[in-house]
Amino acid sequence: MTDNAETSYDVLIVGGGPAGQAAALELAAVGARCAVIDEQARPGGQILRQPPVSFAAQNWVDENSYRPLRQQLRVFENQAAIAWLGRRSVIGLQPGPQGHSLTTSGADGLQELSAAHVLIAAGCYDMPYPAPGWTLPGAMGAGAMQTLLKAQGIVTGEPIVFAGTHPLMLLIAAQISRAGGKVAEVAFDRSLATIGKSMIRHCATALRNGSLLGEAGKAMMDLRRAGVPVRFGRPLQEITGADRVTGAVFGEADHPETTPCGSIGLCYGFLPQSDLPRQAGLSVRWSSPSGGWATCHDQWMQSSVEGVWVAGETTGVAGAPIARDEGRIAGLGIAAALGLITNRDATRRAAPFRQSRKAAMRFAAMLDDIAAPKQALDRVAASNTTICRCEKVSASAVRETLGSTTDVNAVKRITRCGMGLCQGRNCEHMLIRMSAAAEGRGLETMKGFTGRFPARPVSIADLLEKPLP
Amino acid sequence: MSKRIGFVEPPAPIHIELDGEVVEAYEGESVAALLVLHRDGMSRRDRDGDARGLWCNMGTCSECFVRLLEHGRSRRVRACLLEATDGMRIATGSHTQDD
Repeated sequence: MTDNAETSYDVLIVGGGPAGQAAALELAAVGARCAVIDEQARPGGQILRQPPVSFAAQNWVDENSYRPLRQQLRVFENQAAIAWLGRRSVIGLQPGPQGHSLTTSGADGLQELSAAHVLIAAGCYDMPYPAPGWTLPGAMGAGAMQTLLKAQGIVTGEPIVFAGTHPLMLLIAAQISRAGGKVAEVAFDRSLATIGKSMIRHCATALRNGSLLGEAGKAMMDLRRAGVPVRFGRPLQEITGADRVTGAVFGEADHPETTPCGSIGLCYGFLPQSDLPRQAGLSVRWSSPSGGWATCHDQWMQSSVEGVWVAGETTGVAGAPIARDEGRIAGLGIAAALGLITNRDATRRAAPFRQSRKAAMRFAAMLDDIAAPKQALDRVAASNTTICRCEKVSASAVRETLGSTTDVNAVKRITRCGMGLCQGRNCEHMLIRMSAAAEGRGLETMKGFTGRFPARPVSIADLLEKPLP
Repeated sequence: MSKRIGFVEPPAPIHIELDGEVVEAYEGESVAALLVLHRDGMSRRDRDGDARGLWCNMGTCSECFVRLLEHGRSRRVRACLLEATDGMRIATGSHTQDD
């Protein structure tokens, strides 16, 4: 990849993670001019978030499961035909001179880029789980702790508690423990019996994916060796502290148990990034069971808007191997649409990626079943916790308003829930769940906030500035 | 307390100013990482005076906005996407309330 100052390309790819890289490599191989835009300085996405170039990192994400992704990243970085546009947020997608145009925002202000095709491979983010006390410094998404470790070599306040429903927290806790961080406890919301039932339901898949399960088993063993308790059926009740996190309260209200800690990582699942697709009017669907909006697509990963394609977690959170397969399929689909390869060629070359995607989907469905956050979310919906962090709106204030209207855009205007700097990324999923419950409707029938420009916060000064002709 | 661990070997240290206090940092390190190291992850106080912390470390939650003071301007930026450079001046909202 090379830094590049062009403003017009055949293909613009939003996101330099496994999906975006895979698509760019397919496209570069057939001579398409493509650029990859990312908020980070270096490619990798969140899963392979890289330390600054000036850091010499040893044993950086050296677990086996990362190996194919690391290899792809190396090839991507060495492919000179791909333009790398890092340190930029994409804030808008609209019709442009060549088909589509993207507005980006960076340290030097805004820039317009245009292309015949745009691929959105924007990834996902930690579900903002509104446990009472989650706004305290030291309470964060488990993924935030992992990226602080991977990309910055930093362990958050010790000892660390992990709480949630998603098994990924086992791997994160083990990574932190192996790196020399002190973990106090890993607490699964659901009982081992419930998780066991999910595994039995998917037992054929579990057997076929022995190596992935083995990784979770190894994490458990490493944690046990380090003396870290892994507990099940242990719902988080509250995060305590005055100016920062000092404890995590578990158990039932009548006999609470507190684990003292310096920080807590919450891991209840992941939501697809959906701001840009929704701002551009792409069709989306509610993503069960974790929630959020997955962008709809056809078999070549093209969205409901011609020339706009999607791949990876943007289409529903299913893990990096699937993201990579989808990136390859989208890359081949775009190459065919550009006339660089025949449809027949694209079909033939995409076949193995479709095959591996299908197999990996079964594992993703098992993980979804194990990690289902509904019970944990129902608990906080009934509490008095702050669900909108930016405007500090409580679940109880939202419940009160839901008595008069269940339209989420109306609730937003009345309570200010979702009106802050995060643009609803933190609270919308909770509001939708609460609204659906109040109305007795299925989540898949719900409508979310109206997507608007800009898809990321940008200063008004930057919006007003115009380049000289 | 947060700490640095040994798997990365950072280059020679630089210095940035965090709320008027000079702290050691490394070129390219994120300002969010420095908030974790020096402020327990605290980025601001909300309108009730409650301490607030960064949540996602990936540009999504908008909780880590700080002010970058440069060229006679004060610019609001997400600390998790801001790389430290020598002499950089940062003001968090830890001592003042939301504006």
